[in-house]
Amino acid sequence: MSIIKFEKVHFTYPGDQMESLCGVDLEIEKGSFVAVLGHNGSGKSTLAKHMNGILAPTEGRVLVEGIDSSDESRLIELRRKVGMVFQNPDNQIVANVVEDDVAFAPENLGVEPGEIRRRVDEALKLVDMYDKRRHAPHLLSGGQKQRVAIAGVIAMEPDIIVLDEPTAMLDPLGREEVISTVTRLCREKGMTVVLITHHMDECVGADRLIVMSGGSIAADGRPAEVFADIELMEREGLTVPETTRLLYDLKKRGMDLPLTALDVESCAKEIVKQLRG
Amino acid sequence: MLKDITLGQFFPGDTIAHRLDPRTKLLLVTLYIVALFQAKGWLSYGIITVVTLSCMRISHISLKNIFKGLKPMIFIISLTALLNIFYTQGTPIIPGWIITWEGIARAIQMVLRIVLLITGTFLLTYTTSPIALTDGLEILLGPLKKLKLPIHEMTIMMSMALRFIPTLIEETDKIMSAQKARGADFETGNLIDRAKALLPVLVPLFVSAFRRADELAIAMESRCYHGGEGRTRMKQLVMAGRDYIALLLGILLLAAMIYLKKLGI
Repeated sequence: MSIIKFEKVHFTYPGDQMESLCGVDLEIEKGSFVAVLGHNGSGKSTLAKHMNGILAPTEGRVLVEGIDSSDESRLIELRRKVGMVFQNPDNQIVANVVEDDVAFAPENLGVEPGEIRRRVDEALKLVDMYDKRRHAPHLLSGGQKQRVAIAGVIAMEPDIIVLDEPTAMLDPLGREEVISTVTRLCREKGMTVVLITHHMDECVGADRLIVMSGGSIAADGRPAEVFADIELMEREGLTVPETTRLLYDLKKRGMDLPLTALDVESCAKEIVKQLRG
Repeated sequence: MLKDITLGQFFPGDTIAHRLDPRTKLLLVTLYIVALFQAKGWLSYGIITVVTLSCMRISHISLKNIFKGLKPMIFIISLTALLNIFYTQGTPIIPGWIITWEGIARAIQMVLRIVLLITGTFLLTYTTSPIALTDGLEILLGPLKKLKLPIHEMTIMMSMALRFIPTLIEETDKIMSAQKARGADFETGNLIDRAKALLPVLVPLFVSAFRRADELAIAMESRCYHGGEGRTRMKQLVMAGRDYIALLLGILLLAAMIYLKKLGI
C-alpha cells in the first residue's frame, strides 16, 4: 500500500526560471525505508519539502494517506503524519533543555500533559538519549543533537519520517549514530522512512534507492541494482560504494562477478568464490 | 573569549531553588528588587546581602559563577563608583580633598546595589530553565491577553532568543577567528577603529542569523506550531507549599526593608 503518492508533480521556486521538479511520479510503500540520492540542485530536498506541505506543487499533486498537501485546512494533520528532520540540528531545536524540546510538537498539538511525558520519555529512549534528557542541547555533539531532533519528531507519533540530509553536518561517528537510529525506527517500529542524502554508504541499508537528477527521477530500485548501473551513477556524478567499484573493475578485467554484493563480506565471498572457481 | 558570557544561562540542578515554581521565583525577584531599592542604611544592606548569599548557598550557585556574569558589567560598576566618590558632598577624608567619607560610603552602597541587583536576577536565570521562565511569565502576564496583547508570541520570542544566545556566540567566535586568519585586527586601535573592525563580523553574523531564523521557522511549522491557541504544556506549573512559604518570606523581606527605611538604618 502506498502511503505517499506524487502525481506528475512540477515545482518552480518563485522567481526561478528552471523547474526544480519536472513531473515527478512516485509512490512510497508504507513501512519501507527509501533513500533518495542526488547531487546539489538535483531536486532531492525540494522533493522532501513536498512531503509535509512546506512546499506545494505548482502543478500536479502530492497525497499523503489521502491528504492533499495543497489543502491548507488539513496542513496540521498532514504535518503530524509526516515528521521532518532537517540538515542543521542547531536550527531545529527550539528549547534549552532536551526533554522540553522533544515535548514541543505534542504541546503544539494540544496533547494532554501526562501523555506528552510518556511520549517524550519513549521517544528519548528510542533514540538512546534518555540519559541526557535534562541536558542543554548546545552542549551535545552533532550526532546527539540530531538524535534529539529525531526524538522531537517521533513524539508527534508520525507514520512517516522524512530526513533531509540529516548527516550533512556530522562527523563519521555522528552519521553512524543517526543512520542506525533511523534504520531501527523503520525495522522495529514499522515507520516509513525517507532519507535524503548524498552519501552512498547511507543508502546501502535501504529497501529502495531513488536517484534524482535535474528535477526528475533518474533511477529507482533496490540499492544493489541501482549501484550496479555504474555508468548511470557516474553520469550523475555520484560515486558508488567501494565494494561495487571493486567488483565492477574486476568484472571489466574479465572476472564473472555480480555487481549486487554491497557489503564488504558478501563482496569478499563473491571474489573468493570466483578465485576458487 | 566570548564563550565566557553566562548571561541568561541555566544551570540544571535539583535544589529547592530549582524546584520552586517559576511564577514564585519571578514574583520573588520582583519583591527582592523593590526591597533592594528601599535599602538606605548599612543594616538594610547587610540584611539583603546576607539574604542574597544564603539564596546562593541554597541554589548551589558559587561566587565564581556570579563574578563571571558580572564581568561584562565592570565598566558600569566602576563608573558608578567613581562618580559617587567624586561627586558626593560631605567631609573630605583629608582636608582639601574632593573625596569625602560620604562619597566612599555611597559608592560602596551603590556598587553593592548594582551587584545585588544583578546577582538576584542571575539567581533567577541560573536556577530556572528559560522555558519554565517564559511559561511562568506567560501565565503571570496572561490577564493582559484580554487586552489583545500578544503575550504568547512575546514569551516564545524570548525563549527562542535565549535558546540561540549560545549558538550565536559560538558563531561569532568562529567568524572572528576566520576574519583574524585573514588579517583582521580586533584588538588594537581606538574605540572607533575597533567598532569599524567589528563590521565584517556583524554582517555575516546577521546574514546567518536570518538564515537560521528562516530554517527555525520551517522546522517549527513542521512540528505543527501554529501559535498559542490550543497549546498544552508537558510541565504543568503547580504551586506547592514551599512556593507559598517562599513568597511569604519575600513579602517579609520587603516589609522589613520598608520598616528599616522609615527608621533610616
